Amino acid sequence: MDNQLRWLSTGLFILIVSLSVLPSVRLLLEALSQLTFSASSPLAQVLQSERTWGALKNSFYTSGLGAFIAVILGAGFSFIVTLTNVRGRGIWVFFFMLPMMIPPQVTALSWVQLFGPASPMLNTFGIAPAIGSPQPMYSANGIALLLGIQSAPLVFLTMRTQLVSLPQDLIEAAQLAKASSFQIWLDIIFPLCRSALVAGGALAFVSSLGNFGIPAMLGIPAGYIVLPTLIYQQMAGFGNQMLSQVAGLSMIIALLVLMGMLLQQWLQQRSRYALLGHSTHSIAFSLKNWRIPLEILLATILSFILVIPLLALVVSSMVPALGMPLTLNTFTLSAFEEMISRQSVTFRAFENSTWLAFFSALVLMLVSLPLGYLLMRMPLRLRSVIASLIEVPYAIPGIVLAIAFILLFAKPLPFIGISLYGTLSIIFLAYLSCFLSVCLKPVLMAMSQLDPALEEAAQLAGAKSIRRLIDIILPLTAPAFFAGGLLVFLIAINELTVSALLWSAGNETLGVLIFNLDESGDSVMASAIAVLVVVLVAGVMGLLNLCASRLPKGVIPWHD
Amino acid sequence: MLKKTLLMCVALTFPLMVQAQDTLTLYTSQPNKDAQMTVDAFEKANPDIKVDWVRDGTTKLMVKLRAELSSGVVKPDVLLIADSVTMESMVADDYLYPYLSPYRKRYESSLYNSKGYYYGTKLITTGLVRHLKAPQTPVDWSDLVKPEYNNQVAMPSPLYSGAALIHLATLTAAPSLGWHYYEQLHQNKVRAQGGNGGVLKAVASGTKPYGVIVDFLAIREAAKGSPIEFIFPKTGVSMVTEPVAIMKGAKNKQAAKRFVDFVLSDVGQELVLKQGYLPALDGIGVPAGFPKRENIRLMPFDAAQTLKNNASNKARFSDIFEGK
Repeated sequence: MDNQLRWLSTGLFILIVSLSVLPSVRLLLEALSQLTFSASSPLAQVLQSERTWGALKNSFYTSGLGAFIAVILGAGFSFIVTLTNVRGRGIWVFFFMLPMMIPPQVTALSWVQLFGPASPMLNTFGIAPAIGSPQPMYSANGIALLLGIQSAPLVFLTMRTQLVSLPQDLIEAAQLAKASSFQIWLDIIFPLCRSALVAGGALAFVSSLGNFGIPAMLGIPAGYIVLPTLIYQQMAGFGNQMLSQVAGLSMIIALLVLMGMLLQQWLQQRSRYALLGHSTHSIAFSLKNWRIPLEILLATILSFILVIPLLALVVSSMVPALGMPLTLNTFTLSAFEEMISRQSVTFRAFENSTWLAFFSALVLMLVSLPLGYLLMRMPLRLRSVIASLIEVPYAIPGIVLAIAFILLFAKPLPFIGISLYGTLSIIFLAYLSCFLSVCLKPVLMAMSQLDPALEEAAQLAGAKSIRRLIDIILPLTAPAFFAGGLLVFLIAINELTVSALLWSAGNETLGVLIFNLDESGDSVMASAIAVLVVVLVAGVMGLLNLCASRLPKGVIPWHD
Repeated sequence: MLKKTLLMCVALTFPLMVQAQDTLTLYTSQPNKDAQMTVDAFEKANPDIKVDWVRDGTTKLMVKLRAELSSGVVKPDVLLIADSVTMESMVADDYLYPYLSPYRKRYESSLYNSKGYYYGTKLITTGLVRHLKAPQTPVDWSDLVKPEYNNQVAMPSPLYSGAALIHLATLTAAPSLGWHYYEQLHQNKVRAQGGNGGVLKAVASGTKPYGVIVDFLAIREAAKGSPIEFIFPKTGVSMVTEPVAIMKGAKNKQAAKRFVDFVLSDVGQELVLKQGYLPALDGIGVPAGFPKRENIRLMPFDAAQTLKNNASNKARFSDIFEGK
């Protein structure tokens, strides 16, 4: 390694440590602070509180059921879309992935608007349930259902990776031996993807454990508290005096999530069977007479999990007040008008979220270039350690990360005396820490596909490493940077969990705006903003889709 | 490359910490739309001042504010929040700046702090609300604990809303109700989650046909066409005054004083009327849908005692409604 690289690696090492390790360590220190064996230490108080155990139980229930629903939906979808000759795969996949990119609080809002006695949609058709009947979504099962829909794409992606590498010849051999389709499924396909199925389920479970938007919108009104909402309520109701206890709670979630991650990684490694090479084209079961019914089934599922709730959201944003049906006489765009032309907070939130998302994406793209380059040149073992370090802040729930950042920055920074707490900068730094791995993954993937010969040639010609990085690696892997950055942008623009605790005057994000509007009873205006956000997200995803053919394979998660 | 990145980070974060001279930061618990109306009217009357504002429930807002104060940042210049008891606690901790507004003489002395720490700007009472399709029509607080209301009532939580905390203090101090009433409410499965906005959502959307709520939210939404009606209970209503106050650490005290004067002026009070609240200033009328001012019966309320009991009230409420 030459000098330039050594300098670069030291710098990056410090960067990773400060972005990923520091918050986690600070949190651990706080949780273990004042640790005595007496009953009065914060951690002991947390462990003694019945609310902790209640929330833990609720978290397990909603995430467990959510993961189960996600597995059914995600696996079913990936089987049909990957293994059969169903028409229009790209479109199915695009719409199936959309729920993952729509912010969870928007998903929750749209489902709440769909059901219940005053649902504008049901009232418009005159089929609303009786007054006083409970809103079915405000329940443990309502939360689980939406968690399942939200994380189904994760299972879908895990399964799909496995399914596309299923060996064609194995199945052809079975078919030649006159095995029935059912036997092929049971004896070949299912055993080969069992581990991927469990790994996808674990991933869905972990992401549901850390989800804040859905249990906050559906659980808090019903008094059904899970771990992330318990932390949020403690912080919102009692403030920084609760930090030690809340840090203890955070550690519980972080531990659960890490256990889930380890399980998932272990299973995924096990699932890599030594198959007979990659098949050049994926398997297509001919559906014959079943094709049309199956396509209708897909369309029905998609309309239930995506189209109808979004339609309900649109309808709810166009009535004058809560609880009214949408008719020709009641139709109004006044909520849009109020939010767009009069409320200064709308513009500010769009501006803040766009700013945060854009610069997080940009900075992370710039960091990923040398970092990815460096990682590819490290010994395998060291690389995997560093890669998992980067993974940690993304895996631990946003609410835990936010607590860690409050702990780190509540006091003015040493030496310079500037306080980051209560500024946009603290959210920005938290985003960098949170999304580094999102940006780095496609970059690493693209770099591992590069032919080393090009670089060796440049090295022989005397080019230093920085030069090689900019003149050779960057142009060849540019699409992957672009895709990584765009993914970060998409996720960050809707972010709620981190900013819910870190926002302050003038620093509202879009997620916070929707959440606060709904909480203060302005659901119609919240729906209007949510509609605008969905349009924005679908637009950016569509844009990404258009560029898909120019990007390396596997960079856009929902594309072949 | 890395150096550039770091430089960029620093360069990007720096402008966010600089504040313009003529901006005023307002923390308020008013609904978004009202807060924006107030700010717009003030900016129109004072074109040289730009107002940044933040809205949240009073309790959550105060938590945020106190966290900021303890980390040495004073963000707001002016507060416009639900209740005088919270203001009293801010006075006790020496966070407020006394200002004797020339407008104060037109107000009843009970509506403002005699040293000028805060001024009530409107009267917000808490009463009952029902969905128009609901089978019963409650007329008094005691109706809510009857069997036909079991699991049918929503109310704001005192752990979240400043008005609800005062409501709790008022009702528990009433001899006919007391803490026993709150225990009965809990037994009758009355839901207490979130603020008044949550109650509005529950009643207007029909999940809970009855509720306890602040007057203006229900009356105003009903006027827009929402299928709900507000009821003034027979025993009387509790009341908060949504006071305005200047922070001791305000960066822009002159602008802050102008803001206080503005909300107390005729223009400010007429705006309050237009927004659908009872104005603090007597004699400029009541908004549509309200009974005459002298017909609104207020339940007795002791501010000093309430401040003393606040923490224990919250804890006791939390024990009844959340502890098991």
